[in-house]
Amino acid sequence: MRDLLVFSGSSNKGLAERICRCLGVEEGEVSLSKFSNGETSVTMVDSVREKDVYIVQSGSGHVNDNFIEMLIMISACKMASAKRVTAVLPLFPYSRQPDVPYNRKGAPLVSKTKSSYTYDSVPSTPRPSSRNFYSASDVQKLDLNQPRQSGANVSNLVLSPAPLSPAKSPFFKSRVTSDAPADKGYHPTALPTNASSPGLKGSDVNSLVGYKQWIAQSGTLVANLLTTAGADHIITMDLHDPQFQGFFDIPVDNLYSKPLLQHYIANYIPNYQKAVIVSPDAGGAKRATSVADALEMEFALIHKERRQKLTSDTVPSSNSGTPSNGPYSYFHSNLSTASLSGGTSSPMLHGGSLSKEKIVATTMLVGDVEDKVCIIVDDLVDTSYTITRAAKLLKAQGAKYVYAIVTHGVFSGDALRRIRSSGIDKLVTTDSVPQEDLVAELGDMVEVLDVSRIFAEAIRRINNGESVSMLFDHGW
Amino acid sequence: MATNSIKLLASDTHRGLAELVSSRATLSRLGLKLTNVDIKRDSNTEVSFSIKESIRDEDIYIIMQIGSGVVNDKVLELLIMINACKTASARRITAVLPNFPYARQDRKDKSRAPITAKLMADMLTTAGCDHVITMDLHASQIQGFFDVPVDNLYAEPSVVRYIKENIDVSEAIIISPDAGGAKRAAGLADRLDLNFALIHKERARANEVSRMVLVGDVTDKICIIVDDMADTCGTLAKAAEVLLDNGAKSVIAIVTHGVLSGNAIQNINNSKLDRVVCTNTVPFEEKRSKCPKLDTVDVSGVLAESIRRLHNGESISYLFRNTPL
Repeated sequence: MRDLLVFSGSSNKGLAERICRCLGVEEGEVSLSKFSNGETSVTMVDSVREKDVYIVQSGSGHVNDNFIEMLIMISACKMASAKRVTAVLPLFPYSRQPDVPYNRKGAPLVSKTKSSYTYDSVPSTPRPSSRNFYSASDVQKLDLNQPRQSGANVSNLVLSPAPLSPAKSPFFKSRVTSDAPADKGYHPTALPTNASSPGLKGSDVNSLVGYKQWIAQSGTLVANLLTTAGADHIITMDLHDPQFQGFFDIPVDNLYSKPLLQHYIANYIPNYQKAVIVSPDAGGAKRATSVADALEMEFALIHKERRQKLTSDTVPSSNSGTPSNGPYSYFHSNLSTASLSGGTSSPMLHGGSLSKEKIVATTMLVGDVEDKVCIIVDDLVDTSYTITRAAKLLKAQGAKYVYAIVTHGVFSGDALRRIRSSGIDKLVTTDSVPQEDLVAELGDMVEVLDVSRIFAEAIRRINNGESVSMLFDHGW
Repeated sequence: MATNSIKLLASDTHRGLAELVSSRATLSRLGLKLTNVDIKRDSNTEVSFSIKESIRDEDIYIIMQIGSGVVNDKVLELLIMINACKTASARRITAVLPNFPYARQDRKDKSRAPITAKLMADMLTTAGCDHVITMDLHASQIQGFFDVPVDNLYAEPSVVRYIKENIDVSEAIIISPDAGGAKRAAGLADRLDLNFALIHKERARANEVSRMVLVGDVTDKICIIVDDMADTCGTLAKAAEVLLDNGAKSVIAIVTHGVLSGNAIQNINNSKLDRVVCTNTVPFEEKRSKCPKLDTVDVSGVLAESIRRLHNGESISYLFRNTPL
């Protein structure tokens, strides 16, 4: 290995050690500590002059500390005349971009810790509402589950959860003031953003009307910061958004864990050809289908819709749309979307008076999993909300055994507890994030795959100027 | 211009100074309130940030107090806030960083040590910062690390006022706790027309203090130790002992940035210091209750006035000598 030096940040020392072992090099010595005021102190102990330096740091643990530590290490190497500095980020920090604000409080990546995990659900397919004859008192009541009313003003169509720019949440202020007409027969649904609507009072008005919000998109920033610190090259794995590569002005090698996962499926899952690959959400469908295609397996998809629902907190309504008393309980969404689109929802289901909106999720499974082994494939599990819910749905649909295979297992918050009590029978993840806690907590339920060989081979190839693309197909 | 007004932004934690700044007369006359923002920390400790008002074409001031312990979190929070404002088409973004992070790592003091202050400067510029307001930079050369204008304000006028109002100046003497701070202390002594003494210190390692030697006569004087930063307060406590051993009547320490990390509170409480006065550039409200010897000098007026002057394109240098009301 010519002039090759691998340094490890403090987030994933084990992985760096294994990478060094695969490369047959000594790990570079670096002194990392913190001053008493919380500032990070870095000194590269080994000389890096004219060396090809690789710094391994995962976006796990305390992300901000680790990220700044990485920036300082890059900067220190650059300033100490390193020839080239490559940032090796097995899990890229801030790689999930908050996009559509699903509620008025924040982005989807933000989750709150709950005491219990019930997955609220409403019928997924809204029915036209504008022709419904509400009683006079219902006139101004709002129904966000009825987005497409025929003949509605275009600017009234703020309710669709379809892609919106970050500035435009579903509650983005509309200037249209649609006063309810006096005509008793025809009552267009009022807008929740309409300040003149009765029922909006006090602080609710302030939070509902006016400029909505601007959500920070930190992707470009993180990319620019790495470049500014002096990184010449980035190696990462299974980027959540492949577009992320375009944020950089320097080369980015996005490695894939897919060969490794396929290897596990083919060798360690008995009768894997009869199993079903499941994508827990539509965004991961492509990832999951590529695995299914490569192994010639069947494929199923769980589709999740997040909608805004208005719930009553002042008037206790018997028809507030909870799964227990509504006709659409969670598992009513049955086997196919067709049965759902044929569903009819009672207008009364949404009859609560307006006070606050709430996110509800509709989950439906496309494909047959009955009496089969299911393999959920995802790239990143954080709160584990998505995969545990997927597992629950799969089990309810008759799945025999549920594997969850994820590349990056962050498992923050109470994810471990949630997984233990979920329908997941076996959790397979990689050591892109240190998983000692996970193994200690969940024991036999967990398999941790080693990605160090992939990274070591990529580093070796980059150092030698060989092609890296061969790694994409064969793994190592 | 009608649309170009001042917008003040602050994080959700440690916003004490920002609230003080927005309530100062110079700004509150403009009816300036803190802009409604929402900062969330994901369970995996990443930060997400949203602004609840339009800031298109506005003059943005982000006030960020960086206390001890959470420096890196605050730095990334600030960078994300700046970047969010930039992409939300703000006209100009000014970072108000009373206590500049990593200001002490401003030179390559060992082989292969980073110049983190320079990295911070680069990162702020990369994020989209157009202007920086800071206070009592550890080394004023840090201004040269930036490609954007930096206004380094001085706490000195506020400190001078505090000394005149609270300490019997006739018996006082200004002390610099190390050779590096001699210039700062001498400047203050000149302003107050007081004598000046210096403690020479041999530092073995960072955050640790070794032998101290006093240069000057402090017999029967009220000693005012002046420094730009108090971290673990080990230096201050030792200096106080040296001064009292040399016949000083009492010892007061006045520092601009009271970081007070580690066991600083314990050190102060156990020391022979009469009082430790810090400006409120660093959040230390919760520490005050644990330490009766702590006192504050409010610098929010200086910051508020500098923001007003910057916005209106007036000279800032007036503030180097005078305190606004």
